[in-house]
Amino acid sequence: MSAEMTVLQATTAAMARALDDDPSVVVMGEDVGVVGGIFRASQGLQQQFGEQRVIDTPLDEKGIAAHAIGMALNGLRPIVEIQFSGFIHDAFEQIMFCGTKYRWISGGEYTCPMVVRAPSFGGIKGGFWHSQSPEAYFVHGGGMKVVCPSTPDDAYRLLLAAIADPDPVLVLEAVPLYRTLSGVVEDDGIPGEIGQAEVVRRGDDLTIVTYGPPRHLAVRAAEEMAEREGLSIEVIDLRSLVPWDRATVSTSVRRTGRLLVLHEGSQTLGFGTEVVAAVQEHDFGYLHCPIQRIAGHDMPYGFSIGDEYYRPSIERIRAAVRRSMEFEF
Amino acid sequence: MNAPKIVSFEGAPREPVPVPLARADELGIEQVLDADGLPRGNRPDPDLDRATVVKMYETMVTVAALDRIGWQLQRSGRMEFWIPSRGQEASHVGSTAALQPTDWIFLSDREPGSCLWRGASLTRMFAQFFGRADEPLKGRRLPLLLGDRSLNIVPPTTQVGSYIPHAAGAAWAAKLRGESTRFIVYFGDGATSRGEFHSALNFAGIHHPPIVFLCQNNGWAVSTPNDRQTASPTFAEKADAYAVRRVRVDGNDPLAVYAATAEALAAMPEHGATLIESVTYRMGFHTSSDNPDLYRRDDEVASWQEWDPIDRTRKYLHHRGWWEDDQEQALIESAEAEIRAGVKEAEALPKATPESQFEDVFESSNWMLDEQRDRLLEDLATGGAR
Repeated sequence: MSAEMTVLQATTAAMARALDDDPSVVVMGEDVGVVGGIFRASQGLQQQFGEQRVIDTPLDEKGIAAHAIGMALNGLRPIVEIQFSGFIHDAFEQIMFCGTKYRWISGGEYTCPMVVRAPSFGGIKGGFWHSQSPEAYFVHGGGMKVVCPSTPDDAYRLLLAAIADPDPVLVLEAVPLYRTLSGVVEDDGIPGEIGQAEVVRRGDDLTIVTYGPPRHLAVRAAEEMAEREGLSIEVIDLRSLVPWDRATVSTSVRRTGRLLVLHEGSQTLGFGTEVVAAVQEHDFGYLHCPIQRIAGHDMPYGFSIGDEYYRPSIERIRAAVRRSMEFEF
Repeated sequence: MNAPKIVSFEGAPREPVPVPLARADELGIEQVLDADGLPRGNRPDPDLDRATVVKMYETMVTVAALDRIGWQLQRSGRMEFWIPSRGQEASHVGSTAALQPTDWIFLSDREPGSCLWRGASLTRMFAQFFGRADEPLKGRRLPLLLGDRSLNIVPPTTQVGSYIPHAAGAAWAAKLRGESTRFIVYFGDGATSRGEFHSALNFAGIHHPPIVFLCQNNGWAVSTPNDRQTASPTFAEKADAYAVRRVRVDGNDPLAVYAATAEALAAMPEHGATLIESVTYRMGFHTSSDNPDLYRRDDEVASWQEWDPIDRTRKYLHHRGWWEDDQEQALIESAEAEIRAGVKEAEALPKATPESQFEDVFESSNWMLDEQRDRLLEDLATGGAR
């Protein structure tokens, strides 16, 4: 059945589908049951599937993640909601040094198929703790798959893929898009493929590699610069960071010769750094100019103007594109 | 264990703490055996059958032999690391013995007897200690961080106490599915200071997973004694804040530990979890990298020898007429022979390979790991000196 869904509704639909299809799936987290989560991502699910399947937990991110790990070791497929990704760090050791390591430390005898949903990114006037982009912490050190959907269809299919995955998956959900972006989603239960980028817009002059909400900003900038400045910009939404789709990026950069990496997370050792390093290593000879990057800053995200000045803006994208296009050796 | 004495250092070891087991009634410690191994403690002899008590004793003696030989292997450079379990044999063997083989055990790092009780192969154990390839853990874990799915034994995530709620989560999953499997998780006194201990007890008070939280209070968390770990008079009473059932037991008395564990298992339908504080003592070093002379005095260690779990169990066996002196030497000889055979077989196995370390990060590898592995192997092949 296809329907127009917001990103949030697509998220709910994926969880409902998984709970219905697989009795080993449970949803757990703070306030996820009776009220359906503070964003209402699990609205109605406890009423539909019961308190044993959709579980309100104590206010304890470490404890939630740790119990979910234990459930996963014993055959359940828990979907954990961390209320805001700014609160995930209490659970960081559990996720990155326990859950993601059981398969390896037991030689594959014990596994941890859990999903951690982490509402992320700025744009809701949330200040530092409610506007986080924590992806860089989780791509480091191994064992965690990290996906970053930013359309209703991706929210639906990547969450289903995460739930079906035999290993832990972190889903960074786009809070600012939850209720502002909608599209047609076929509620067919078919999972997406983790590790597959999407070429959102074709172009020949420059490649923007991004993920999360800035994808939409990149498309807007590309369309506007095509119209006003005659530039042809390709936009790639990585959608998945572990594993990431280097082949699609490489193919594009070899054609355009120019690359801008764009994300909200802090610049230093942000995910863009890996993209830049990989492109210089594999596609060095194809570059016409230094790679540009637009990212969050190495400092906290401010409440009153962070949404405008911490997050990438269209002005910063235009400026970076011009730096690339006007570069002379 | 004859380590060279450090003759000068900053500070000094603490005054010895009297053995709490000598004041079991006063300190609320459940005890079956007195120091002489006679069933004259504050709780009745659980009256286990001869075969069970003899198997517990044999396992404990084997653990002590394993500890002796493991220490020698480490000190002679044949093994990188060792975590002694001397003194804690009754605490873990007594509790493991009360379980069914289908019950899950989450190990800490001083419970080799839990594996032996369930029939673990010494060759496989030493293959783990030596980091050999032909062993499921593939040389990835420090010696004694054991696990074996075929025995329902989960290896520990190393951060002290981090795995306590994993065990509780696994138990919760079993309860949600209506299964009858029970769970036990071992951890030390130091682990009770970590958030995960409190998370696990808090969740357990609400959801009643079928689990025994077995705190082996061995007196020391590396160099930190009980009274610097907590101001609570006992570790057991921490359960009260979470409405979790609790008991404090003589951890050097296998019968008391067995009985307390069996009662915790029996109480699961009503209470779910029980926190057992098993009062024991680490007779050896924290690890082979430790030097206890810096923080505790020999007379404290010596005072615990009067409460040695193996001696008390043997005396109990004599008291029941279940053990003869000539059996003792035969047991030690056969245990050592079996261990040495395991050492020999494991040492002959090939070392883990670099490429094997890239396995099991995920169920299916990805191009990122494959590329890193291939580059490593290529560089190792081509990066030699010219």
